[in-house]
Amino acid sequence: MKLSYVIKRVLYSLFVFAVVITLNFFIPRIGVEDPAERYYPPQGNMSEIEYEIVKQLTREQYGFHVSTWQQFLNYLKGLAQGDLGTSFRPGSPKVLDLIKERLPWTLVLSVSTMLIGLIVGVLFGVVAAVKRGRWQDTLLLNASTVMVALPSFFIALVLSFYLGFEWEIFPAYTDSTMVSEFAWTWEGISRVARNAALPVMSMMVGSIISYAQGTRNAVIAVTNEDFVLTARAKGLKRSTIRYKHILRNSLLPIVTSLGMSISGLIGGQVVIEQVFNWNGMGTLFLEANQTNDYPLMMGIMLLLSGFTILSILLTDLVYVLLDPRVTVGDKR
Amino acid sequence: MTKRLLLLVLVGALALPLAGCQTGRGSHRPDPNTLYVGAVQSSFPSAYMPWLSREGIAPTIANMLYSSLFSYDEETDRYLPSIGREWYYVDENGEPILTEDGSIDYARLEEIYSDPQYDYLAVKVIIHQDITWSDGVPLTVEDIYYSFDLATNHALSNHAGALAWTSDLKHKYNNGVLVEKGLFTYERGALEQGYHIDPAERDYVIYLHVNKVLGAVTPLFTSVLILPKHVWEPVVSRENQLNSSSPSAELLYRYTHPVGCGPWVLDTEQSGSQQIVLHRRQDYHLKKPDGSPLYGVDTIKFILYKEQNVALYALLKGHIDVLDSSVSSNYLLLFAKEKDLFVSNAPGTFTQTLVFNLNPVASERNPLRDLLANREFRKALALAVNQDELIKNVLDGAGVPASAGLMRPSLTDFYNPEADSIVPRDYAQRLALANEILDGIVPDKDKDGYRLLGGERISFKILGTPGEQDVVSFLQIQFKKIGIDVQYAPKGAQPESTYLYTSKFDLVLQGVIFSLSNVDIMYPAHFSTLGRTSNYGRLVNEGLNAAIEEMRYTLNLNRKYELLKEIQPMIAQEFYKVPLYTANVISVARTDRFTGFQVVEGSTVFNSESLQNLRRVEGR
Repeated sequence: MKLSYVIKRVLYSLFVFAVVITLNFFIPRIGVEDPAERYYPPQGNMSEIEYEIVKQLTREQYGFHVSTWQQFLNYLKGLAQGDLGTSFRPGSPKVLDLIKERLPWTLVLSVSTMLIGLIVGVLFGVVAAVKRGRWQDTLLLNASTVMVALPSFFIALVLSFYLGFEWEIFPAYTDSTMVSEFAWTWEGISRVARNAALPVMSMMVGSIISYAQGTRNAVIAVTNEDFVLTARAKGLKRSTIRYKHILRNSLLPIVTSLGMSISGLIGGQVVIEQVFNWNGMGTLFLEANQTNDYPLMMGIMLLLSGFTILSILLTDLVYVLLDPRVTVGDKR
Repeated sequence: MTKRLLLLVLVGALALPLAGCQTGRGSHRPDPNTLYVGAVQSSFPSAYMPWLSREGIAPTIANMLYSSLFSYDEETDRYLPSIGREWYYVDENGEPILTEDGSIDYARLEEIYSDPQYDYLAVKVIIHQDITWSDGVPLTVEDIYYSFDLATNHALSNHAGALAWTSDLKHKYNNGVLVEKGLFTYERGALEQGYHIDPAERDYVIYLHVNKVLGAVTPLFTSVLILPKHVWEPVVSRENQLNSSSPSAELLYRYTHPVGCGPWVLDTEQSGSQQIVLHRRQDYHLKKPDGSPLYGVDTIKFILYKEQNVALYALLKGHIDVLDSSVSSNYLLLFAKEKDLFVSNAPGTFTQTLVFNLNPVASERNPLRDLLANREFRKALALAVNQDELIKNVLDGAGVPASAGLMRPSLTDFYNPEADSIVPRDYAQRLALANEILDGIVPDKDKDGYRLLGGERISFKILGTPGEQDVVSFLQIQFKKIGIDVQYAPKGAQPESTYLYTSKFDLVLQGVIFSLSNVDIMYPAHFSTLGRTSNYGRLVNEGLNAAIEEMRYTLNLNRKYELLKEIQPMIAQEFYKVPLYTANVISVARTDRFTGFQVVEGSTVFNSESLQNLRRVEGR
């Protein structure tokens, strides 16, 4: 891999991140005359003068009393020290602490879903491509059509109702003490697995279909390439051709999908988390939005953006490893 | 090979979900003495400082852990004892201003305090003598003094709500310096002020000076949850304000380990972001007349649900006893098929209204909105509203028509039926009258309805939430009957900033609640004050404003009631906030473990009266 290419990609990513930080700071302020008024709407029979005092104090408390540029500089200073700000919530918790509390639980769902989706999906895709036109392929195509029409919240509600409430095979929603009583024991892990079963199932169906569809199309495209014909002509074993020549060369679109999935790992799934009472990042963002908790919203958005930029950077670098011909933005 | 690999991966992928299979079907409500309560919201609070609890279930929990001086009973218009045992206004010598039967003597109160030398009313509060905080320390008037003093001293509390609640208290700070004293106890200037307190009662009597408004005591008595001085005073300072954006470890500990004087105590070990556990305090000072505990359950476990359908299934399948959330009338049919359910279809207190933008700021005026400035035009639209049809179609019958004076008929002391006799009852007659009015104002009309002189169709947008679209749809049908077109427009997340305060709307749906306890604040906000208040359509009516002002400042309760009755027809005649309906509050509980749930106006079935009446079902 060329060092100049890596440096260029890293610099691009840093530039995009700087733009994201700037937008992340200014966008929530657009159309807001006075953040203090949003934080504390007028209430009671407070006089205008009293309310002005209250607003001034609220501005000072959350640093809105200085100019917007000064606020931006303070924000950058805080970021440099790893401080994402203070939430508006009672007790004024640090945004980073709130994220730390929720992120692991989101990762439980998203990583499980991604791994199951990747493994099963790739395998299904290969089988469908190899058995092109036969029932395995038809099944995948039909399943894709059906799944596109079924939103994950519908699947979640159906699974929760039948497998959870009616037949009681899995917990219909998260045990309210799972998080507070969690311990790194077999019992603790098994409890998390039990509670994660339905949310993961709700999400993995779409994930499997997506990877399978991508793999099938890529494998079919590569199977028709000349080098595969050459390999066959050389008399190589069928499995060698399938896994070493075809599958490896079909990996680029799968890596793209995987890269996009990685960027979504920490965002959480709002609807799935709501249906299953899962305390993850999705509902944290929703709560921040519902309560006008700007610092929290900005913190989550920054984290998501940063993670997305990082995952795109990694995807680009992995591309080069897989296919040295890739030279995005480089002169040939 | 492929088949074997496929099988292996399938087994591996299913391992995680299969690990989740439940081994048995245990009871979802294992403890027979615990009431399991579902709450639908996005999260539970992590801090329980009562003054900071504003969202979701936090105020409910705060009111169970802490107490205010009194609670207010709308029906009887009385303050019920809580921390406070009794209260009354006093004269300059501290003598009660009471009639022989012990009620407030408003005539004498007016006589004494009409004197301009007084710019306050003096109130004496006597508290119960057997109250303790949950850590065992006795509660005294020092705690009351500390709480009100802290609330008024923003330099220490940094709490806007507290300033609002105490804005009628004549106890003021300026940048941390006391500039006006309005709280007096035995040890804090009562004698110097001329108020006698028996030394034996020194810990239980406090005098307050409040603004000369009868409603001044309401927020002081009912909104300020009293804090334990011994817990907060040592840690609250200018550097560590009560509401701090970077609380110290000591403050944080107090936020998360509440010490209250309410009937319940928080189980900090078992409570977290997804459940809250409260235990009944055995030493709570209020008891039933027979001396038994006031509340019928030992423990309450609140369980978080983020999705209402899941919460309802959880209730129907016996995971919880009661849902602390109102549900749509669409669910009534579902409940009818279930056994062991108590459905509370409680009369509501919340009146849905249609508000006209009758006086937009100059930049937002246009020929259509000019029509709304015409009271007769508004009357024509109001005549077309058929509340019975709206209740039948939008609420499935779970509601009642609202009064044109916007006061609930259940508030018999000051509801004025005259407000409802301004327009005819017969709907056909009303439609005919509406068209008669419109023909006089807008002469251009075709088969599709009325048009402006330039040919523009008369069509208004009604701002509402997505959930209110069906209301607008039925209003569309009703207004179509008189030839006026209306369309739904989304309100958005911040309607005050984006539409309402800036006059960028034609009509908007708005819920209102008026009662004796809030009219002093709400009437000016809804009908008099211009700017950033609920008077979105910017009504200006000098006569109404004068009546509201007099009602707010009169010290004669009878006159206040008379004015309230006079104001209702004035509101109705403006056709400014036109009532649509008052929706019932539908909620549901299971009766297989506990019975005695109570229907309370404006409340879900999880209410204080239910908690006082709950009894275990024998053998369950």
